[in-house]
Amino acid sequence: MKITNEQIKNMYETMLKIRKFETRAKDLFAEGKVGGFVHLYIGEEAVATGACANLRTDDYITSTHRGHGHIIAKGGDLKYMMAELFQKETGYCKGKGGSMHIADATKGILGANGIVGAGQNIAVGSGLAIQYKKTDQVCVCFFGDASTNQSTFHEALNLASVWKLPVIFVCENNGYGISVSQARHQAITDVSVRAAAYNMPGVTVDGNDVFAVYEAVNEAVAKARKGQGPTLVECKTYRWRGHFEGDPTVYRPAGELEKWIKKDPIPRVEKYMLENKIMTDEEIAAKNTYVDDMIKEAEKFADESSMPSLESALQDVYTDIIEEGRVR
Amino acid sequence: MISIGIIANPASGKDIRRLVSHATIIDNNEKINIVERIVLGAQALGVERVYMMPDSYNMGYRAEDNLNICNELKCEINVINIMRFDGMEDTISAVKFMEDAKVGCIVTLGGDGTNRAVAKVIKDTPIISISTGTNNVYPEMMEGTVVGMASAAVASGCFDKRLFMQRDKRIEIYKGGEMIDVALIDAVISRDVLVGSKAIWDMDSIDKIYVTRCHPASIGFSSIMGSKKIITEDDDFGAYGEINQKSQKVIAAVAAGVLSHISISEPVILNLNEEHSFISKYRGTIALDGEREIPFSENQEYIFKITKNGPNHVNVKKVLETSQKNGFFNIEP
Repeated sequence: MKITNEQIKNMYETMLKIRKFETRAKDLFAEGKVGGFVHLYIGEEAVATGACANLRTDDYITSTHRGHGHIIAKGGDLKYMMAELFQKETGYCKGKGGSMHIADATKGILGANGIVGAGQNIAVGSGLAIQYKKTDQVCVCFFGDASTNQSTFHEALNLASVWKLPVIFVCENNGYGISVSQARHQAITDVSVRAAAYNMPGVTVDGNDVFAVYEAVNEAVAKARKGQGPTLVECKTYRWRGHFEGDPTVYRPAGELEKWIKKDPIPRVEKYMLENKIMTDEEIAAKNTYVDDMIKEAEKFADESSMPSLESALQDVYTDIIEEGRVR
Repeated sequence: MISIGIIANPASGKDIRRLVSHATIIDNNEKINIVERIVLGAQALGVERVYMMPDSYNMGYRAEDNLNICNELKCEINVINIMRFDGMEDTISAVKFMEDAKVGCIVTLGGDGTNRAVAKVIKDTPIISISTGTNNVYPEMMEGTVVGMASAAVASGCFDKRLFMQRDKRIEIYKGGEMIDVALIDAVISRDVLVGSKAIWDMDSIDKIYVTRCHPASIGFSSIMGSKKIITEDDDFGAYGEINQKSQKVIAAVAAGVLSHISISEPVILNLNEEHSFISKYRGTIALDGEREIPFSENQEYIFKITKNGPNHVNVKKVLETSQKNGFFNIEP
């Protein structure tokens, strides 16, 4: 695996940004500052980080209702994200979308999505656009284990395979579809086996090992850029929080969370960096402080921003650009 | 009570080799089918209890349910009660449990990695290894029914096991005088600094290969050595070779569908229990049976030693031949 120390440090910073953003979002939700639902990504940081570390700014991602991690890993701005959670007019969706609709087309972020499995066909659409334009971009499509029971998953994999589209399907298998364990919602343990039905490679990796995710997606991206079609990469991971904030998680067996906390992806990277003298204890502490300051700055920005005006309620809802009887 | 054990690795057949080579995906439902056939073959020849390793997909319980629904289960399936970690630890714990329970034979479903985990702890219990993948040397592709029959013959205790069983070689890796790991087929020194997704497919990162056996009909690193020399499981030695640009290039099947051109030195024979020292000059990893396992940094010394401390491996064909010659399949009137 060809990876530089600089890339490892960048991945570490990204994971910290996700962890600290989400941890603060949890507290702010409890304080009533965040409207609507939030679905936190704590524990799954290695997946978005390892996958997106292979992408360029002009590559695309599609996300899920648990999308903060993907957006941060693809370069989303923490200030605009936090402002969106605060429903402020400076937010990514001008405060009217909330956590589950954050998008940034300038960075290839085709949007978080409140509908389970809805990102999969958007990813196929973007893959078709890439192929049509004959560029070497790719699209990484994030989704959860339970969404692979949806028809969208099967439609998406089928067309992506038939048309050899540059899409990397990254399944975050965290073992639950809302409150239903994987054993109760699907007759397989490894989502990767579903790739065989669509004549594409399917692999399973440790989703709490950022290097394992990076390596698998790296190969899949290289293949997609060469026009060799899609891949399904399943990352086994776990969400530490409930499905949504406020979820009492009574469906979890005792000790399960503790078992996964021991596999926390962030200390694993710290240990590797220390053992291989990539960062010192002091540099790790300084990086943590640096990211803490970024989160504080984002929160301050969101706090000081204005709420959307009443007049803006219907803006960006309907288009008024009509041409030859068609909406553009 | 005649009993056997089954260790079916739920993780085998799904790693990154499906992406970087042309390896086959093996679904756990297919492993359950194989388990059912093993049980049916074994119970028909006298096995009364089958111990199974627990796993995240509950393969043991599913096999039991399926056979009960068909009204075909005659023996007892006992999914053993051990703490599950969903990793190599489960295989290790299961082997210990099964040996304590004095099973007559252990059947493994997995790849070289699964059998390496078994080899770490198993003592004298005979094993039969079924390959559930396309990148394996140690386990073989065999029909579960036949394996079940063979396991019953072994567990019956009716025959002299020396007729069909032999102690395999293994590579022992020592650091600071302590054995830290083992490999059954090959150990490779790689310049790859990360364990990552474990498998190795970049031949440019390989510097040295140790093998217990090698053959051009193998797949993986042992095939590279096998293109120069044949060493079988019966030979009382192994070998090592250096990958470098000055040596003759050979074509070898390093993974399923991947034929690489590699420069490999003439193999140097390593006799049993002979120690070979490797002192690292760079950061890298030691891959065991095809998987990066041991990261190392500069100036660390590792000792590689080939021994006969591997598992007692059953030759399925020979055990069934022995059974046939001794009337084991005859039904009393």
